[in-house]
Amino acid sequence: MQYNPVTKKIVAELAEIVGAKNVLIDPEKLEGYSHDETPIDQYAHLPEAVVFPGSAAEIARIVKLANRELIPITPRGAGSGLSGGAIPVYGGIALSVEKMDRVLEIDDDNMMMVLEPGVITNSVNEEIEEKGLFFAGYPMSVLTCYIGGNIAENAGGGKAVKYGVTGRYIMGLELVTPTGEIVELGGKLLKDVSGYDLKQLIIGSEGTLGIITKAIIKLLPRPTEQVDLLVLFKDVKTAIKAVPRIMTDGRIIPTGIEFMDKLSVKTSCQYLNEKLPYQQAGAMLLIEVDGNKAEEVEADAETIGELCMENGAIEVYIADNHTTRERVWSVRRNIAEAFMVVSPHQSLEDIVVPIAAIPDLMPEIERISDQYDLQIPCYGHAGDGNLHATLVKNPAHTLEQWYQIEEKALHELYLAVKKLGGTISGEHGIGYKRRPYLESTLDPVALDLMRKIKKAFDPNNIMNPGKIFELE
Amino acid sequence: MHIIIPIKQVPETSNVKMDEETGTMRRDGVESIINPLDLYAIESGITLKEKYGGKVTVISMGPASAEKALREAVAMGCDHGILISGKEFAGSDTWATSKVLAAAIEKIGDFDLILAGERATDGDTGQVGPGIASFLDLPLSTYTSKLIEVQVDSITVERLIEEGYEVLKLPRPALLTVVKEISFPRLPTLRGKKRAKSLDLPVWSAAQLDLPVAQLGLKGSPTRVVKIDRPRVTRGGTIVKTGDQDSIVAAVEQLVEFLRVKELV
Repeated sequence: MQYNPVTKKIVAELAEIVGAKNVLIDPEKLEGYSHDETPIDQYAHLPEAVVFPGSAAEIARIVKLANRELIPITPRGAGSGLSGGAIPVYGGIALSVEKMDRVLEIDDDNMMMVLEPGVITNSVNEEIEEKGLFFAGYPMSVLTCYIGGNIAENAGGGKAVKYGVTGRYIMGLELVTPTGEIVELGGKLLKDVSGYDLKQLIIGSEGTLGIITKAIIKLLPRPTEQVDLLVLFKDVKTAIKAVPRIMTDGRIIPTGIEFMDKLSVKTSCQYLNEKLPYQQAGAMLLIEVDGNKAEEVEADAETIGELCMENGAIEVYIADNHTTRERVWSVRRNIAEAFMVVSPHQSLEDIVVPIAAIPDLMPEIERISDQYDLQIPCYGHAGDGNLHATLVKNPAHTLEQWYQIEEKALHELYLAVKKLGGTISGEHGIGYKRRPYLESTLDPVALDLMRKIKKAFDPNNIMNPGKIFELE
Repeated sequence: MHIIIPIKQVPETSNVKMDEETGTMRRDGVESIINPLDLYAIESGITLKEKYGGKVTVISMGPASAEKALREAVAMGCDHGILISGKEFAGSDTWATSKVLAAAIEKIGDFDLILAGERATDGDTGQVGPGIASFLDLPLSTYTSKLIEVQVDSITVERLIEEGYEVLKLPRPALLTVVKEISFPRLPTLRGKKRAKSLDLPVWSAAQLDLPVAQLGLKGSPTRVVKIDRPRVTRGGTIVKTGDQDSIVAAVEQLVEFLRVKELV
């Protein structure tokens, strides 16, 4: 694909659309828009310009300009992605929605909220907490990520066992299409079968089918009671085996079941200066239950705790107030960041299998780890069958060796996942990072349909090109 | 070894909202937790018990709901809890509170050590620990940061002072108020929770403590809140704008001069 450069004339035109102060071309400042949370030296690409539009109308004009001049546009939220989705791999224009950060409406009567894409996900809940409402999205980057990015990636996170992923709560979208039209999809409707469900198609399309400029999200009554169990197991196998049993034997759907192996807990604890007794345990589960009646939630927590003890747990810790809950969740949320501090050379994966297949997945990971002589710490949303296996470069290997090993090991991991009925990404997306691997794990007919959809939406291929799959 | 730990239930303030108009805390929906600094005393007490044997008793003066804090401490590993509660205690200041807690400890009788948090996060006075020590006429170490050695009739500790650390050897029984450096609080366990749930928790009122009601609560408190004022930020800070070489050099000189005047360099 041949694109045209962002010339001075085009910069001037962009400045005319969004105002000069909302266009960046200073090379030093562009760096911040060249990467997300994937390893910088492996994936980063500089944009030629960054724009900060303030409205859908401005974005539509920018997109029309990009089509006319054949310049790629890469939409960008908070840059906390883990698939390279916001990386401008062909240069061009990075379009950040950070200035579109207003809460447009809190609709009590419909229990919905209308947001601009740059609203930080955590602040959504701060806005509505006092009304006794909540938004169920809870990606681990909740303190920094934007709702627009959550929708584009169909983010999952730590509450998906009970509440599902972001897409379940998106009732309507306003979108600037790749050809620069503004379209409204869905609305404040709980049911809607009028025509194809284009809204769901946009959710999780990773910024390749347009730029989300407004979102209607559904709110739920806020659960007032939450209890977290931090459960220590002697090894990974015992912990993972207990996961499906919590639901099948306990007959309880917890809010989340998070898994952490010893290395993950240790790395995060050291990063946070937290002194949980990780030395005694080979693996931990973090299980949350919520509800509105204290006695019921407590009883559920107790049932799950006892079930864990019956299934080989060493100890069950209980966190039932804000301070202790935040303490245990912070360990879980900070694992990815802690590993980045230890080594930037790693591949953070988010493979997903049917929950009953999780125990079968672990020996596969162990086999790959032995075969390629690298550590693969594992943590993640075990209750969803979604695990963050993280391939970490062996210090004995050169960088060149590592890149080769990474590619082979990933390929093998993905095939193992496919064999178990899973897919290569449960929540981070394919983006740029996993693009080379999608083809070998996806149904070819499905892939062909996806390419046709992309071409129908974006005939000039200017909207976040180079992501998910090659066009040909 | 019998260790007594007076604790306080406080509002969870890490995510609390302030009422902009009155300058007071918005309490509706705010959780009540064990005073975070008391957790270090509880952890130290349990660690000592694990090492030397004995038992840990937690006590708290407060409304009936403070029972939850006591049970949480038991879930962490304390052995007994006693709630001191009754409307006659309402409105107690640090003097009256110390007096009541001292009386309760005296009633419990046989003890080797009293551990208390340095202060409570709501009142922030740090007076109750030392108050109990003075009513009971016990040796006191405040700001205790380390337990160095426990002997048969004494305890050697390290405490924080402005210039660094100080080592004290105190005859037992003694009272220590502790700071964060001393320990790392554990989480309550499921087993502990279950034990705590079924544990019989005595409630003592003024009658049980044999204290005259006139010396309790608001009546027994010499402290009077005359006025509540909000602190104002008086340090404004100075921003020096720079652009070229000369202005940067000038700014550095200005900073060095500022630090010299303050005798920091």
